[in-house]
Amino acid sequence: MLRSSDYACQYMTHDSPVHRLGAGWKIAIGTLLSTLAVGVRTPAELLTLVVVALGYYFMARLTLFDLWRDARFFVLQAVLITTLYCLLNGLSKGFWPGVRQSVQIILFYIPGAVLLRTTRTGDMMRGLRRVVSYRLSFLVFVSIRFVPFFLRELDEIMAAQRLRGARLLPRQLIDPRNWGDLFHCLLLPLMVRALKTADDVSLSAEAREFGTRKQRTFINIPRRDESAITAPEGQRPACPAEVRSCCRLGPEARKGLS
Amino acid sequence: MKSDVLNIDGLGYRYPGASTPALTNVSCAIKAGECICLTGDSGCGKTTLLLAIKGLLRGGSHSGTIKIALPVSQDAWSVPVGLVFQKAESQILCTTVAEEVAFGPENLCAPPEEIDVRVRKALMSVGLDGCETRNVERFSAGQKQRLTIASVLSMNPSLLLLDEPTSQLDRQGKQELCTLLAGFKKQGYTIVMTEHDPRPFTTIIDRYLPIADGRSGAPTLSLPDRERYESKTAAKTEPTGVTERGVAIHAREIALSYPETGVALKQVSLKVLQGERVHLSGGNGAGKSSLLRCLAGLETPGSGTVELAGIANPRPEHLPGKVGVLFQDPSRQLFAESVHNEVAFSLHRLGHPPNEIERVVTETLRICGIGHLGERAPLTLSFGEQHRVALAAVIAPRPAVLLLDEPFAGLDFPQRLSLLEILAELPDRYGATVLIASHDELPDHTWADRTLKLSEGRLDETTH
Repeated sequence: MLRSSDYACQYMTHDSPVHRLGAGWKIAIGTLLSTLAVGVRTPAELLTLVVVALGYYFMARLTLFDLWRDARFFVLQAVLITTLYCLLNGLSKGFWPGVRQSVQIILFYIPGAVLLRTTRTGDMMRGLRRVVSYRLSFLVFVSIRFVPFFLRELDEIMAAQRLRGARLLPRQLIDPRNWGDLFHCLLLPLMVRALKTADDVSLSAEAREFGTRKQRTFINIPRRDESAITAPEGQRPACPAEVRSCCRLGPEARKGLS
Repeated sequence: MKSDVLNIDGLGYRYPGASTPALTNVSCAIKAGECICLTGDSGCGKTTLLLAIKGLLRGGSHSGTIKIALPVSQDAWSVPVGLVFQKAESQILCTTVAEEVAFGPENLCAPPEEIDVRVRKALMSVGLDGCETRNVERFSAGQKQRLTIASVLSMNPSLLLLDEPTSQLDRQGKQELCTLLAGFKKQGYTIVMTEHDPRPFTTIIDRYLPIADGRSGAPTLSLPDRERYESKTAAKTEPTGVTERGVAIHAREIALSYPETGVALKQVSLKVLQGERVHLSGGNGAGKSSLLRCLAGLETPGSGTVELAGIANPRPEHLPGKVGVLFQDPSRQLFAESVHNEVAFSLHRLGHPPNEIERVVTETLRICGIGHLGERAPLTLSFGEQHRVALAAVIAPRPAVLLLDEPFAGLDFPQRLSLLEILAELPDRYGATVLIASHDELPDHTWADRTLKLSEGRLDETTH
């Protein structure tokens, strides 16, 4: 498995036609593609939808590696589903329905990943405010924004508990006697962390006057190519001077203080 | 004569359901342009006082008054008080830098052009100009801390409150923050900060306000109780638990890299003998945690080999009972209904007999100074107590190797010293090898047999 220090669906600061689309459009396109994913039946329909969904994904200047990061858990699920179908119905009758259902699940999910990868908090809130209040749209986005944070937490908790003897590996969890560990050693600390983080987040938002007014305004941020910043460390082109100055407080930055 | 920006008179506060008040009769007056540091042990009420000043305490019972003088030029899109919380991670709400800094003025309904000006100004103030469209996930701890300050500055507060701003920062990060705050002071900001160890800020702090058990003491011009921050020296003895010192940790030419961030470890080799005490130092992002993860088998290095407590290229499942690892935040590993059960968990898993478990748990709780907490629920304890419970749970199986990742984060100076004293006993009692990865300097400089410095993925060794 490819090693990664990132988690799925993190916002990518590229510029692309999909990035420039309004959040409302992306939600509409995503809803349409996901609905179609549920409805496809024949191999031709499925193939067409795969091409369209991947075209949409790559149009956002996301790479194959990003796709792997976003969909890797679904690959495992696809193997499981197809295997189960084959076991239940035999290879000839079970293979195609298994593959179809697995691909449908991935296709259902891909538009959501594109939305998260290409939409900033403000754009999302702007897009949703026509439908729901800005408070509610912020709540929705913050819940998604902290998904990478909780995946990291999950990883850390799992590491700490495995080192203490908790049985949390997938092969260990096949045994129902170990399901107690899943709840006590993993889910319980995760819930505690989630509640604490939710508390911190709400306090931080409140301290910055969130929700004190009926409406709120939004900053206009021009998009620009950020590939220099998001590329891996070793492959980055030289940063412009103003970007370099932010890495550590240099003399130029200090001048601004006096 | 400068006027008072903040005047607190007889402030008292009790949290809902709490038996004792968090604050009792706190009084102080702070003048415009002053920098005040609230000092005191963990849990003394410093953070509660900041929350009270910002008006964020909900419910509970209040008494006394807090008066904040509004500046004459205050507009409708500004706030009198800005508060920067301790943990940057859970304070950053948006995906990009500009959005994060704009979040406050947006909530105040400032016009977009005004928000734009404020974002630029705030980012310039903290040295993050040019990073407006960057994703915050890629920022270092120091950059995140500066971003949280910028996100408060953009609301034009005249009084800036900072809660333990250096808790996640390395030495360089602390120096940068000090420079930053000195600049804010010159610009006329009034600053109130809480800090476990105010020594890096002595040049900018005008007065210290000691808080003890929720009560304020008399303000002082110099750092009160200075000797408590001085490095202590403990008598060292050779480990008695081992007769012949074998190799406890042996890493050969470990290399590790991530596709997104590049090289984390460059051909790192490390040999630690049984019973040795090692301090692995290095700044934020130097690769300390990555090295510990490689040693504990949580990360498979791109190349190189690891031998830990006699196990070649270990997996985490091989290590319970032989190797203990303590991670930064104790609440990640606490789940049992009592401290006793928490500490006994690994022993049960290792199949120890009940009477042996009882004896070891009692002894471990005593070593960690938490014998009186045996029947308490771990999640209801203070951070410092939870930290000790987590440590007790890790050392209960008497591991041959103990790895600790940033164990001092969030602890005040006496707690740090006390932790180090517990760790100092382990090699003598059980022949355990202890490796501490920390960007903080050790409260006792003589504790470590060796100090290793990790910088940009490379390991240098200095022997005391």
